[in-house]
Amino acid sequence: MSGSNGKKGSSSGVMEWIGSACRFAADRNDFRRNLLVNLGLFAAGVWVARNLSDFDLMSPQPVT
Amino acid sequence: MGSVLAASSPNPPPPTSGAAVAPGLTVPPGFGMPSVSSVIPEAASGMQQQEEENPLPNPGAFDECHRKCKEVFPMQMEGVRLVVNKGLSNHFQVNHTVLLSTMGDSTYRFGATYVGKKQTGPAEFFPVMVGDMDNSGSLNAQIIHQVSSGVRSKLAFQTQQNKFVNWQGDAEIRGEDFTATVTLGNPDVLVGSGIVVTHYLQSITPSLALGGELVYHRRPGEEGSVMSLVGRYSGSNFIATLTLGSAGVHASYYHRANDQLQLGVEYEASTRMQDTSVSLGYQLDVPKANLLFKGSVDSNWVVGATLEKKLLPLPLSLVLCTFLNHRKNKFQCGFGVTIG
Repeated sequence: MSGSNGKKGSSSGVMEWIGSACRFAADRNDFRRNLLVNLGLFAAGVWVARNLSDFDLMSPQPVT
Repeated sequence: MGSVLAASSPNPPPPTSGAAVAPGLTVPPGFGMPSVSSVIPEAASGMQQQEEENPLPNPGAFDECHRKCKEVFPMQMEGVRLVVNKGLSNHFQVNHTVLLSTMGDSTYRFGATYVGKKQTGPAEFFPVMVGDMDNSGSLNAQIIHQVSSGVRSKLAFQTQQNKFVNWQGDAEIRGEDFTATVTLGNPDVLVGSGIVVTHYLQSITPSLALGGELVYHRRPGEEGSVMSLVGRYSGSNFIATLTLGSAGVHASYYHRANDQLQLGVEYEASTRMQDTSVSLGYQLDVPKANLLFKGSVDSNWVVGATLEKKLLPLPLSLVLCTFLNHRKNKFQCGFGVTIG
């Protein structure tokens, strides 16, 4: 009995944490949320610029 | 047209096809890559002697720290714009700009640029005088002069019809490994108001430059100051810049992938406006097709692009611009032709 109640308690705690995280990520009016999300987007943009931009536009097309 | 360095007017003119009459290179405004010190053959071994022979480069102007990244992004344009550039001599150029707008007033602007005979570098001539006036009589004017080998001064004026709204003067001192600038804005001795802005940028290593900005403003019954710090790290093909201040944070990353592709990522956070944004932009340059394409997307769901095509052999340049704001459901389109 106590074990199942403990499991239910931990799963509800995880669900609550996930719910609060989703509400935090979706709240556009929260300045702190905007700060963190845009910081992550900036880091992702820098990663894309450094790693996914090394293609040569003037290279000849491959012969099929 | 003679060489014009840093002759950026308050309203920068649209990019031209560059049919120059005179010899000399036209350096794009804000081209602020740190100069590479020349390699001097070593006379003797020793790290100290090597350090003395390879001094730190000048870090460039403070305002140019983020400019390389900003130049990658497309410039928003609305309506129809026609620009005609005409070089009258090696030192004098005039331009006519007609702007037909759907959102604001349509205007006509007449501009003139004079470049002097004093040559200080391979593509630098002084003094430089740039001015333009619109059909309502509003004037923008700048005078840039190299006072000595390390001191450059600038005067700028802006009027709204017959009333002066902005007048400022600044002096820039370029040392071997530092740049210092003092700007005095809208000084009014009678009222006792004005703005003083000081910049300092120091090369710490050949790749790292650190600096700061101090803004002091004064009005009758009110005065205040704002300080911010800046750091710039330059690599072989990238520049990362960070500005921290009480007003907010500004970070930019510029990456040159190859000769055709350049990318820029910008992050801005304003504590005063309680707002943040991040923008990603790229620039595709295909000189064989005389084509320049710039695109951008940002966190405010604004997507924009600019296409510039030179219609050689005619001295014509065509510019198409489109911006879409998905959040506000707004669309903006611009079309421009530059002759000369």
